[in-house]
Amino acid sequence: MTTLIERPEAPTVRLRRPQRDASWRPAPAPKPPKRARHRRPEGSRFSSDTWIVLALLVVVLGVQAWNITGFPPISADEGTYLAQAWAVARGDGLAHYTYWYDHPPLGWMQIALLSWLPGLLAPGALAVAGGRLIMLVVTGAAVVLLYKLGDRLDLPRWASVLAVLLYGLSPLAVIMHRQIYLDNVAVVWMLAAMVLALSPRRHLWHHVAAGICVAVAVLSKETMLLVFPAVLIALWRGTHKSTRTFSLVGFGSGLVLVGSFYPLYALIKGELFPGRDHVSLLGAIFFQLGGREGSGSVFTPGSSAYITVGSWLYYDKVLIFAGLAAALAGLFLRRLWVPAVAVLLLAVMVLRPGGYLPSMYIIQALPFLALSVAGMVDVLADRASRLLGNWQPVRRKVVIGYVAMVLAGLLAPVWWQGNAAALTRQDTQSYRDAVAWIGSSVQDKDHKRIVVDDGMWLDMVKQDFRPGTGAIWFYKIDLDPEVMTHLPGGWRDIDYVVSTPMLRDRPDVLPTVTAALAHSRVLATFGEGDNRVEIRQITT
Amino acid sequence: MASVAVILLSLALAVVAVLTLWWTLHAWRTPEVLRGTRFEAPLASRTVRFSLLVPARHEQAVLEQTITQLLRSTHDDYEIIIIVGHDDPETAEVAERLATRYPALVSVITDHNPVKNKPKALNTALPHCKGDVVGVFDAEDQVHPALLAHVDHAFSTTNAAVVQGGVQLINFHSSWYSLRNCLEYYFYFRSRLHLQAQQGFIPLGGNTVFIRTETLRRTGGWDPECLAEDCDLGVRLSSQGYRVVVAYDSLLVTREETPDTLMSLFKQRTRWNQGFLQVFRKKEWRKLPTFRQRALARFTLMSPFFQAYTGLLIPLGIGTALLLELPAAVALVTFLPLIPTVANLAFEVAGLHDFGKQYELNVRPAHYLKLVVGAPLYMMLLAGAATRAIYREGVGARNWELTRHVGAHLHPEQVTS
Repeated sequence: MTTLIERPEAPTVRLRRPQRDASWRPAPAPKPPKRARHRRPEGSRFSSDTWIVLALLVVVLGVQAWNITGFPPISADEGTYLAQAWAVARGDGLAHYTYWYDHPPLGWMQIALLSWLPGLLAPGALAVAGGRLIMLVVTGAAVVLLYKLGDRLDLPRWASVLAVLLYGLSPLAVIMHRQIYLDNVAVVWMLAAMVLALSPRRHLWHHVAAGICVAVAVLSKETMLLVFPAVLIALWRGTHKSTRTFSLVGFGSGLVLVGSFYPLYALIKGELFPGRDHVSLLGAIFFQLGGREGSGSVFTPGSSAYITVGSWLYYDKVLIFAGLAAALAGLFLRRLWVPAVAVLLLAVMVLRPGGYLPSMYIIQALPFLALSVAGMVDVLADRASRLLGNWQPVRRKVVIGYVAMVLAGLLAPVWWQGNAAALTRQDTQSYRDAVAWIGSSVQDKDHKRIVVDDGMWLDMVKQDFRPGTGAIWFYKIDLDPEVMTHLPGGWRDIDYVVSTPMLRDRPDVLPTVTAALAHSRVLATFGEGDNRVEIRQITT
Repeated sequence: MASVAVILLSLALAVVAVLTLWWTLHAWRTPEVLRGTRFEAPLASRTVRFSLLVPARHEQAVLEQTITQLLRSTHDDYEIIIIVGHDDPETAEVAERLATRYPALVSVITDHNPVKNKPKALNTALPHCKGDVVGVFDAEDQVHPALLAHVDHAFSTTNAAVVQGGVQLINFHSSWYSLRNCLEYYFYFRSRLHLQAQQGFIPLGGNTVFIRTETLRRTGGWDPECLAEDCDLGVRLSSQGYRVVVAYDSLLVTREETPDTLMSLFKQRTRWNQGFLQVFRKKEWRKLPTFRQRALARFTLMSPFFQAYTGLLIPLGIGTALLLELPAAVALVTFLPLIPTVANLAFEVAGLHDFGKQYELNVRPAHYLKLVVGAPLYMMLLAGAATRAIYREGVGARNWELTRHVGAHLHPEQVTS
């Protein structure tokens, strides 16, 4: 009969946070014995966690950094944010053209803080391609925080590692994390807010700091507000009844008071309310909410939203579908509420028809998709382990390990294929060649006017075209009154125009750009087909 | 140049406001800290004998009620010494009546000092104390019967020379400033004093303070010329390295009333501020062993002034930046000190909620409104009192302006009986 008496796993349930005195907490009702989830010996914990995080950083950042300047192709937003960061770093204000409250500025202000890095590591690279090195620091911070968050959500160590690997190595994540997007910066602060909200000491000032982090996240990218309820759940979990009121007030104070500096800035500048001759914060918000063309329904083939979601799925179906399924199931497991709610809120917003859906929207979902999957794998492993309860521990581990290897074996080729492009393709080559050609072939640059897209703008400035009026972002010619005053003759005042995919894909409201293209001849072409870059000279 | 000055001022103000916030919130930092601020449940044994000093001056209306309440104590080893002035027959009459009724427990000492104040009264009684521990109460205090037993336990389980219990103003409904005054006490005794005790520098409270008789005699009792004799005693004891234990329990706090008019609050605050100034100028705090403690002492003794003036300087900084049309970034910096200041207000709202819950008081939305709207007015009152204190100290006006008590914290039938 001895076989029926299960040998307790030694040591049995060991509370993870020994510094906590259990007595202040009402004793929980007796539960069926849990497995020893957290066996982290006190002495070695610091060092082993540190080693794990360092190893994760090497792997994740290694994959991200490899060929970061070559893939993906340079996008307009990257150029814009980097140019704005450049303007901040130079002390020119919040943007390289008139700042019109399109986004809160904290995101590129942080990028500006790191703008010395590319010059140090990749001095010869294109401005935007080199600027991507800044994102390595950002991803590094996210990796550390995600690992910590897994820990604070009571995930066992291996599940936290799994979450980080999903987050860092998914082909969708690799392509997104490489690009200079505000969302990447904002996610770090949102993760920090959750880590602080779940501080094991339940410290009031950690909760205040969590509120400040949410404010910084939202001021880095306003869409972070969507994830806010998940932070509140984390905060509720992370507070004790006796001090919860004060913690909530502290969190709210940090969030609101720091967040209010943005409208305060607008107010001081006299740009809070819409007016005839100036930009305004509220005007920009109204535009973002209503004035912008929606992306259509995700379910309408051919709509912008359909294409965007399709591109996400192209890069990684596994993480998205597994993450969504895990998040749905996670709603029934308190422990997984934080990532599950974040994922589902973001998913609901995607399904809402008619909204504006940019491709970087997925960035804020990535850590929570990864956490949901890792958390659910932990739950399933737990169940499986209990199902096989009568087996010897060694045999159990072999079976579970085997299943894990099969799953990893199925995933690896898919991801390998997805990441192969990221690691090898050279999609910025034609830009590089075009910039080099202008550098050597155009003389007297500080008296010439060249119209470029934002991906090349900083490179033109580096080559001594005058920022704003010599090197001109094509978008601003017809939209920024200040630029137009410098070009009384319209397209005739321009010397060169660089035609790139971004410029050819421009909206219809830019007549001067169209005219400049029509009255120009090609000097040099780099690349082929739709991706070609043409350097054109204006002919009068 | 103006920009630099404005930025420096704003940063200094922000630091002061954050420090204020820091001590205000000390007790709620973690659930463990909050639990640690409470009295421990006492054991049955009695280890010390108390001598309870109750100085009374023109307080015949409330004295009897206070003494009767004290006599309900569950501790069985104490004496009560009422100190009355030779020029105050009404109070003396009440005191004598009580001494006759309870001859074993209550005695009366008459203070013959020509100019009277509380420290002189206390010093007059000190030689007559037969207990191991001297406790001080004011004539209008409502003391919980179980307090002495808890204090006894605190003395016997720690090596404390001083135990400071909580004092709480209760009549928050009386007026807008009572509300703020009550809340000030709440944060002071609930939170700040614990931090000060932990750091080894503490200005004691005026009552519900218990000191070992031997220690008190050795340090020479109270300073008869100091307007904040309680603060001074705390500073002297801290400087000599005596351990002070602070404990707060909403059930056991001594209940008091706020000054009955705005003017008497103003005078009371002037007296305290001037007292703090005097203690600062006595420089006893320089004897504190560590730099940290001395820095805390400096900050603590000056903090009434810091606090009073930040309220005025913040709008000044912002106004300057906006009027001089300094750059937007500089203007934003001038708003920085508002973050901790407004957060403090939000915490006060949470504190009022907590206060109502702990004392089972009916706090209504109007009270929260009064709390918020009253904040700037109260700030001006404090700034006025701080200025007046500096002025009085400067011209050497050091007489004792007594706070009048009418018994607003008692039930009506208790006052008239």
